[in-house]
Amino acid sequence: MFKLNKKLLISISAAATLSLGLSACMESVMPSSETNTPALASIDGGVNYPVKDNMTGPYHVNPQVAQMKIFNGRVPTEKEYEEWNSDVMPDGTGLPEGHGTAEEGEEVYEAKCVMCHGDFGSGGGGYPALSKGTASELHETLVNQRIKPDTDGPVRVFGTYWPQASTLWWYIKDAMPHPLTDSLTDDEVYALVAYVLNINEFEIDGEEVDEEYVLDREKFLKIKMPNVDGFEPNIDGPNGRDNVRKYFANPDNFGAQKVKPSERCMHDCQEPTAKVVYIQGVGISDFHPPLSAARDLPVEESSSEFNVEKAYTESCAMCHGADGMGAPVVGDKAGWAAYMAKGIDKVYQNGIEGTDSGMPPKGGADLTDSNFKSIVDYMINKSK
Amino acid sequence: MDIKKSQQDLDTASNEDANSTSVGRRDFFRKTAALSVTALAGTSLLSSNAKADDPAIMEPQKWGTSWGDPVTKNLYGMPSKYEHNVTRRYTKLLASGNFRASIAVTPIQESSGIITPNGLFFSRSHGGVAHIDPNEHRLMITGLVEKPIVLTMKQLKRYPSVTRTHFIECPANGGQEWRGPQYNSVQFAKGFMSCAEWTGVYVKTILEDLGLKPEANWMLAEGGDSSKMGRTIPIDKVLDDAMIVWGQNGEALRPEQGYPVRLLVPGWEGNLCVKWLRRLDFATEPWYCKEETSKYTVLKPTGKAIQHFYANEVNSTVTSPSPEIDWSDLEDGDVVEIEGLAWSGMGTITGVDLSFDGGKNYVEAKLKGLVLPKCWTRWSYMHTYKKGEELFLTSRAMDDAGYIQPTIDQETLKVGVEAVYHRNAVETWKVEKDGKITHVEIRSQLDRKPNGELVIEGKA
Repeated sequence: MFKLNKKLLISISAAATLSLGLSACMESVMPSSETNTPALASIDGGVNYPVKDNMTGPYHVNPQVAQMKIFNGRVPTEKEYEEWNSDVMPDGTGLPEGHGTAEEGEEVYEAKCVMCHGDFGSGGGGYPALSKGTASELHETLVNQRIKPDTDGPVRVFGTYWPQASTLWWYIKDAMPHPLTDSLTDDEVYALVAYVLNINEFEIDGEEVDEEYVLDREKFLKIKMPNVDGFEPNIDGPNGRDNVRKYFANPDNFGAQKVKPSERCMHDCQEPTAKVVYIQGVGISDFHPPLSAARDLPVEESSSEFNVEKAYTESCAMCHGADGMGAPVVGDKAGWAAYMAKGIDKVYQNGIEGTDSGMPPKGGADLTDSNFKSIVDYMINKSK
Repeated sequence: MDIKKSQQDLDTASNEDANSTSVGRRDFFRKTAALSVTALAGTSLLSSNAKADDPAIMEPQKWGTSWGDPVTKNLYGMPSKYEHNVTRRYTKLLASGNFRASIAVTPIQESSGIITPNGLFFSRSHGGVAHIDPNEHRLMITGLVEKPIVLTMKQLKRYPSVTRTHFIECPANGGQEWRGPQYNSVQFAKGFMSCAEWTGVYVKTILEDLGLKPEANWMLAEGGDSSKMGRTIPIDKVLDDAMIVWGQNGEALRPEQGYPVRLLVPGWEGNLCVKWLRRLDFATEPWYCKEETSKYTVLKPTGKAIQHFYANEVNSTVTSPSPEIDWSDLEDGDVVEIEGLAWSGMGTITGVDLSFDGGKNYVEAKLKGLVLPKCWTRWSYMHTYKKGEELFLTSRAMDDAGYIQPTIDQETLKVGVEAVYHRNAVETWKVEKDGKITHVEIRSQLDRKPNGELVIEGKA
């Protein structure tokens, strides 16, 4: 694996300077004891409550704690550190070697992603779209504001909005596919990233990311995101934190208002143009459970017993109810027969434990084994 | 002597009892007995309309005449079954297809005081609510520290604890209403937040012993759930008041709140308070996690977006009346308490003003109870209701960092209507003539100059 374990190695060395770093940092953010005014403005534009006379704001603190050294736990092993150190940073730290094409990516996508992200990443069902077309062009929609009813909004998808490609690699590897995360190989992740670049119509180094384009680590690090400069303040480099501090010191930057309490507006505080705006139409009223402030007894469920059809609809139909999800479809006789050939116990077991090809354990539902099996029976009966 | 007078006598008797040890029990009972006599004499003031007799008083109730449950039942107590409507609620609008990357919000219309019960604390996850075995959970702290460590939960809890009361708010609270009101409900309009008393250890207490290196600028906090939710936090906040918490309102965190441990970053966006926390890593450069780039960034009319927007700004809302619990049962002349919440992630609430005309004119409301930093604060104002009156109730809070809630016009002129997050302009409830409550917004129509700047339409 390429990933350097730099951070850990540095950490274990130089134990001689133990804790000096912390005290140096503390000085820069803590108030000087003479004046009790912070040496620096707070990084978030707010106030903080440094410990003074063993109090922080209204809370007492135990002063003994600051005088003690407490060493709990142990140093992690190198392998333990590697197992969890999966982050990928913009400069390529943590990005492993590997490769894949958009074509390979599309295969994985069709098997494991399309059911939520839609055809060609168009979105649907409440899941994010991955593309809306040519990212470099749609990037220009970010200035759009829907201040009038029929105007278009900004397009915020990976290609148009995200500042760093590293985020996509890391997120797919760690947190996708949503029902079975951390299940893709590095090459599959490269392939999926190539596919997402393809549907966003990206170029790398002047070359179009077409179906045959082989994305590898070297090429990945050359990706230029259209919106890399679209964010403020600049958090990178040695001045990153100071830039944040300065940004939030100016209320205009983030739409805030500052005023002396004695000078706040008490009369005629609205613009003369301000009108009462009502909820359009019926508004959103899809509330579950429905709004009610009644103090009554709950209505008894018509049958408190397990309802197999209802459970199927809620937990299984998303993948087993339609084609293209990679799961055997209810009603597809031949499809189910292939699974049944291994015997019903194997079908139960695969369902309960989940499979590598995308079946989450018990479909991700909270069911007893016997209830789960009755849904499997239900689906099989419907497919005879 | 009327009943009111008798009440005063009783108060006096109680005071004497408290102030002087020489006043004995017998004295006290003598005075109480005197009260009973005068109370009897007062029966002439009572109505003799037998038709008005309340069956709830006249009829013996089964719970008043037969045994209740033995103490052996309900060893972990649950609310009365009559409270079943007081729950978190969800809407499909705010959910991925299967409610694993979604939110269920807090019924703040039913909240009292400044603490949210653990079962009602809003629940937001990115990969479903993980159910973690605490024996198999570890917290690893690595990167730019002299001594990296891994801790079992038992070892973590051995650090000296602190207990703090703070709200946690999703920065998308109110975020569906940038372009106009959508929810006729305070639970959905403002309930993406809750407040609790948290117990845990300051991150700085652990770092004191691990030795943070001077070149460490940023901390990655990462969850152990299936979404591996991560966020980058500047070291300034880590060394101020960030905590790793395991306790919530006197018991363990609920799974929905990240059991067994979560990060608490007081006053800052809820998603920074990473749940099911398993890893803290320190580095010189920021990470660019998914939830701090693709989401939780504020797009402005310039086309630039604010990244690393931390604190939830000063905010408030009227919680009583609300669309859920309105004034349609009030009679003319009834005296009613208008109540609400105020909060600021940038400091401590210093005052709340209330308007009856949608934010044109304000009077000062009164703060109630404990006023704590980065914590829900209760406020109220007493009002005599006139049957048939139309009111526009708008509250406006201030904090000790010097901020005051903006009008909708002030806020949208600066950050536009596509920000999604961090909307803290004043909120308005219209009291209709029949006492029903409607969610409205008081705002101007915006227009755009050729250079893209937002302006108020028709304003000279």
